[in-house]
Amino acid sequence: MRTGVVGLILPPTFPFLDMMWRICPALAVGCTVVVLVPPATPTPLLLAQLAGELAPFPGILNVISGPDSLGPVLAAQPGVQKVAFCGATEEGRALRRTLAGWGPELGLALAAESLLLLTEVADVDSAVEGIVDAAWSDRSPGGLRLLIQEAVWDETMRRLQERMGRLRCGRGLDGAVDMGARGAAARDLAQRYVREAQSQGAQVFQAGSVPSDSPFFPPTLVSDLPPASPCAQAEVPWPLVVASPFRTVKEALAVANGTPRGGSASVWSERLGQALELAYGLQVGTVWINAHGLRDPAVPTGGCKESGSSWHGGQDGLYEYLRPSGTPAWIPYLSKTLNYDAFGLALPSTLPAGPETGPAPPYGLFVGGRFQAPGARSSRPIRDSQGSLHGYVAEGGAKDIRGAVEAAHQAAPGWMSQSPAARAALLWALAAALQRREPNLVSRLERHGVELKVAKVEVELSVKRLRAWGARVQAQGCALQVAELRGPVLQLREPLGVLAIVCPDEWPLLAFVSLLAPALVHGNTVVLVPSGACPIPALEVCQEMATLLPAGLVNVVTGDQDHLTRCLALHQDIQALWYFGSAQGSQFVEWASAGNLKLVWVNRGCPRAWDQEAEGAGPELGRRAARTKALWLPMGD
Amino acid sequence: MSAHQQGTELDLSWISKIQVNKPAVLRRAEQIQARRPVKKEWQAAWLLKAVTCIDLTTLSGDDTASNIQRLCYKAKYPIREDLLKALNMHDKGITTAAVCVYPARVCDAVKALKAAGCDIPVASVATGFPAGQTHLKTRLEEIRLAVEDGATEIDVVINRTLVLTGQWKGSDFIKTSTGKETVNATFPVAIVMLRAIRDFFWKTGNKVGFKPAGGIRSAKDSLVWLSLIKEELGDEWMKPELFRIGASTLLADIERQIYHHVTGRYAAYHDLPMS
Repeated sequence: MRTGVVGLILPPTFPFLDMMWRICPALAVGCTVVVLVPPATPTPLLLAQLAGELAPFPGILNVISGPDSLGPVLAAQPGVQKVAFCGATEEGRALRRTLAGWGPELGLALAAESLLLLTEVADVDSAVEGIVDAAWSDRSPGGLRLLIQEAVWDETMRRLQERMGRLRCGRGLDGAVDMGARGAAARDLAQRYVREAQSQGAQVFQAGSVPSDSPFFPPTLVSDLPPASPCAQAEVPWPLVVASPFRTVKEALAVANGTPRGGSASVWSERLGQALELAYGLQVGTVWINAHGLRDPAVPTGGCKESGSSWHGGQDGLYEYLRPSGTPAWIPYLSKTLNYDAFGLALPSTLPAGPETGPAPPYGLFVGGRFQAPGARSSRPIRDSQGSLHGYVAEGGAKDIRGAVEAAHQAAPGWMSQSPAARAALLWALAAALQRREPNLVSRLERHGVELKVAKVEVELSVKRLRAWGARVQAQGCALQVAELRGPVLQLREPLGVLAIVCPDEWPLLAFVSLLAPALVHGNTVVLVPSGACPIPALEVCQEMATLLPAGLVNVVTGDQDHLTRCLALHQDIQALWYFGSAQGSQFVEWASAGNLKLVWVNRGCPRAWDQEAEGAGPELGRRAARTKALWLPMGD
Repeated sequence: MSAHQQGTELDLSWISKIQVNKPAVLRRAEQIQARRPVKKEWQAAWLLKAVTCIDLTTLSGDDTASNIQRLCYKAKYPIREDLLKALNMHDKGITTAAVCVYPARVCDAVKALKAAGCDIPVASVATGFPAGQTHLKTRLEEIRLAVEDGATEIDVVINRTLVLTGQWKGSDFIKTSTGKETVNATFPVAIVMLRAIRDFFWKTGNKVGFKPAGGIRSAKDSLVWLSLIKEELGDEWMKPELFRIGASTLLADIERQIYHHVTGRYAAYHDLPMS
């Protein structure tokens, strides 16, 4: 069902076509839109005029012209269910922090930089045309990072500089001109970058006939920039191209993936196998092979890592403005007194437990495929519904989280390269093992006050869900047919990476399994914090996983939920965090995710009906467990 | 006509390293037609430049001395005198670059040009035009006879059998095709050929000319060809020594465009002298 009121915040010099690509799907699924645009830009005025012409339905599209500071104000309005932000990375981060706890879902589309990878077996002349299209035209969204294989470095530089000499800059509306200007702010940004790059030892080449008056900035090629310099890490502004060499395909992938941004990239190579290897290995939202900048409304366009999580085009673009039927509207759950610096910082001390009925060895942390002692070398007691001691579990801390995330990253490449069938087989084996453990699990649940019948249902459903998820995931990718393109566009679903999950207290076993299964089956590796009140069933499952699953695939850390949540939310190398705890915790998670802009899914403190199919095993889980990549393959010889 | 090529050693490794990505070339071809439009007096200037690069051609089975004479006269006076006067270009010696005919008609062409007092070269197609499937002896004899009759340029049809078996030879100009095929001069093909010319120039310093032929009928097309040359190769190639357009009806369309520029009205075909 549709989301409701959508707030859209746009940067200056945003193309009209991109505005339409974001507004039209929202209107099409039935949402109404409020657009906040910066003052003093002419394009939004056209938008406002169009909005005014929607006579039968006044108010479905509204345009407000105002400064950036109105963004949080817009988001805080009651009834706004989603905020989509397009613009610079730092502003997106600040908005994420400001909006923590306010309720609306935040979609970010940041950083317009793209990448062009030129191998030695490419058609260099065509790649040079691709560079011109990508960086020095009015269609280009931002600057370009250019990676050139060393063997063709000299040739490419020569052709590029020759081609730059023929570029013509001038007023954008003049038909014979290649590129126009984008305002004084953009020019100043480019100027600053060039100066800094030169001071760090780079070679700068500028050419093309440029009118001498501002705000025109000539097409610029920066090379020999040392990789360790700050400029190499910063986003490349328009209209700059920063070129660096690479020796092998492996090095190319390492260099290309070595930035926090992951928007779009193109691979130029006439060898099919090599081109696909690079395309699959690049961590970006869109890959073009032997082309650059192709777009179509039927193909999802978005990014990953710090380029933001919002998509437009294709099915993913529609899902941005939809939410599962029956979900209540988001309301603010903001706690103004939440101290972000102090949340979960201190570990509450635990009193020693009373007399025990029998020796019960404490459960360790399940990290790296085996149970190990926690760094703090202490345990916490778990009490059952009567108040007597059920067992001891490890008290995990920051060091343990770090170890768990490392183990998950180590297991990730192997798990990602497994076929869906292999993953399904492992999940089936786990389901069978759980079934064998049923009496044990039921008794554990009963001790925590769960009725026998309900406990049996819980275990059964867990087994069923493991099997169901295994069967549900098909092979990667479907091919889209795009008008005016000869050749397919592959829509791939790729794993996110390392997924951290904080499990809820309700349905301790079922929720644990319902969250674990979709995450695993889409190729992610997982770090879980089980239910605080009743972690023992989860730990029992870990005993089965120790023998069945590869080491590091699933890591379970017990301990104080708030403290562990803090560690996970602030960790820069976790790609997504699913939090099902308290409202305060949800707010903290949203705030802290701004650090590396990880994807978050919080429950805002509301319990979820895990036993219902829709909420416990619905398509929403599958959608959130993976990300899309569009792979364009124009054909022709 | 530029000096003859010195030539270089045949190095087939140059060819094997070449990669051409067709979808990208097609995109570039589309793009070049949309950008760089030329208007008003600049368009008139570019059209006159295009006229000076035309190889005015007649290659029909029923060519006789009379239509050759008409063609040669048109080559000497491609644009009507009063139109040129209005553009102040009547004393710049605007003629087409050459006249291109079958070998049997070279005599007639030379005679007609001498009578008109014009020194533009006569080009002849030769070597079994258009298929090239005749004996080497007769092909060489054709060239010799055409040159004897007064032709100073020869459009040679290469032996496709040799090409398909990898045996190449060099030349001063490269031409897109005979002009008698089903698909002749298209922009994607031209882009690849022009890039090859530029690479050859960078490697050896020798400038090879380019001649698209066949299917170029509109003045707008001729402007696109000129801007393609300018973009890919540069201004030095926009001269009759290095660039020719093989065309017959193109001249009429260019003349009509110039008529429109000068008078503001569209001409009928009978308003302007036939070629």
